[in-house]
Amino acid sequence: MTQTAAGQPLLEVTAVTKSFGALVAVNGLSFNLNEGEVLGIGGPNGAGKTTLFEVISGLSPATSGSVRFAGEDITRLSAEAICHAGIARTFQLNAAFDSLSVRENVEVAAQFGRANRAVPGLRLDRCTRASVDAALEITGLIERQRRIAAKLPVIDRKLLMIAGALATEPRLVLMDEPVGGLTPGETDRIVHLVERLRAEGRSIIMIEHVMRFLVQLSDRVLILHHGEKIYEGVPRGLVQDAQVVDVFLGQGASRRLASYLEGRA
Amino acid sequence: MSWRGHLIVGLLSLAIAVALPFVFNINYLVTQVTLAFIYGTVVTQWNLVYGVAGIFSLAQMALFAVGAYAAAMLGFYFGWSLWIAMPVAALITVVVSVLIGLACLRLRGPYVALLTLAIAQVLYLVIVNDTDCYTTEGSGCLPFFGGVRGLTRFGELGFREWLGEDWRLGNYFVALALLALALIFSAVIMRGPLGLAFRALRDNPGLARSRGISRFKYQIWVFALSAFFTGLAGAFYAANYESIGPTVFSFSLLLFLIAMMTVGGIGTLWGPLLGAILLMGTDEVLRDYQEWRDIGLGLLLVFFVILLPQGLVGLINWRRERVD
Repeated sequence: MTQTAAGQPLLEVTAVTKSFGALVAVNGLSFNLNEGEVLGIGGPNGAGKTTLFEVISGLSPATSGSVRFAGEDITRLSAEAICHAGIARTFQLNAAFDSLSVRENVEVAAQFGRANRAVPGLRLDRCTRASVDAALEITGLIERQRRIAAKLPVIDRKLLMIAGALATEPRLVLMDEPVGGLTPGETDRIVHLVERLRAEGRSIIMIEHVMRFLVQLSDRVLILHHGEKIYEGVPRGLVQDAQVVDVFLGQGASRRLASYLEGRA
Repeated sequence: MSWRGHLIVGLLSLAIAVALPFVFNINYLVTQVTLAFIYGTVVTQWNLVYGVAGIFSLAQMALFAVGAYAAAMLGFYFGWSLWIAMPVAALITVVVSVLIGLACLRLRGPYVALLTLAIAQVLYLVIVNDTDCYTTEGSGCLPFFGGVRGLTRFGELGFREWLGEDWRLGNYFVALALLALALIFSAVIMRGPLGLAFRALRDNPGLARSRGISRFKYQIWVFALSAFFTGLAGAFYAANYESIGPTVFSFSLLLFLIAMMTVGGIGTLWGPLLGAILLMGTDEVLRDYQEWRDIGLGLLLVFFVILLPQGLVGLINWRRERVD
């Protein structure tokens, strides 16, 4: 794996536009991410957040603009090649291989996600199994590894997606609404997990509507609206930004968030 | 089930299959069970594409025919021994299957079924509509692929010379070996990394791609791997009957084999085989009501798809879970 040169961002998104016919979902968006940084992305529904992930992860390539990762242009690479390059993502809809067990789900990621395999082989090697164990351990799914994915509760499906992403041994993890639909107690579990990943120095970009979660864990926050960046900066600057308050937070939520930030300071 | 469980079931079934022709030495039974083994081989491989990888391909009977015709033609035109022609025919089938897999790459779900069925129909029509005499040696005018009449006199496996009256047993045990190897082959694939990739693509293609699985690569793999024993089974079918004709393309045979997988349990290791044995048996019992066969199969399919979509193996597993 190529090491990024000092000072060079891990991910460089430059003037990315993604349009579906007349609809421009992401419009000329640029931002960078440094190694070890946690970037939070927020914004109203339909702002283009998930579309941005689709573009970066290669499931739906950009109409124009470029995405560079670790110094390499990945704009037109396939989703599988981007996974091999070191970007792993989770999905907003709790995606899993439903008929497979928890362990098999993670095995898929560890076996095929770490690097491109010329020949599939007849069994999983030790390296793969170690990677699976590590991912199950950190997400706390190890005791439920024999369960069938379809029968898991929402929190475990969220954890399973993160476990799968981690098993590919990525340099960058993209999380799409990691706590959407969870109870406060469950949200705390994800908070602890993300804190742990952050302490390990992992680079993370996450989309989240739960603003407390976002401001609590992000080094930097990006707010999108109609596919364009309306804010980029430290989390505490959010509540002072008139446009963010106006189009996204609203007065009430903005005040609550401000007092929450006060409480943490 | 664990590897040990599968091994025990496998060895028990093998023991029964080996003992069967000695306990009931009836020619008709031996011939019909031989045919059941051939169909069993086909459905265990078809199951890899349809059940494990979730690709609704109906090309398997066409591949079976390719194997059968390839072996017959190598024997007929070049005088090859069938023992050499059969594995070569299997390899030819692999090549044809990869081409079909490539053609299906951009298609999903029922469109794969439509295209593969169309390919099978084209092969059938090419064979039956060709009435030009390619050769007039022997029994008179014969089209290149044998036309409607099919091909005969392309050699045999040589068991008559070796075993005399018991020559059918020779064929029986070749078919049994073929089935056993095909079953082991599919077990190794299903349990290994390839099986993981196939099932991942079946369950969630988008997520599979995001976890590094190339749909292109693994779809070609599954078409290639599932074709070898299918082609070999077809080649052996031709050798077994010492003749091959366009009837192997019949829709009712295709339906019969799909019903085997559905009844037994799609995507499971033993399901297709169990279905093959069960349906061959049922077919035997209902032999006097042939005109009802297609309707009966259709009703059976509807029944299983609606009430027991996991098939008999699914039912057994469900019972076991309840007991546990």
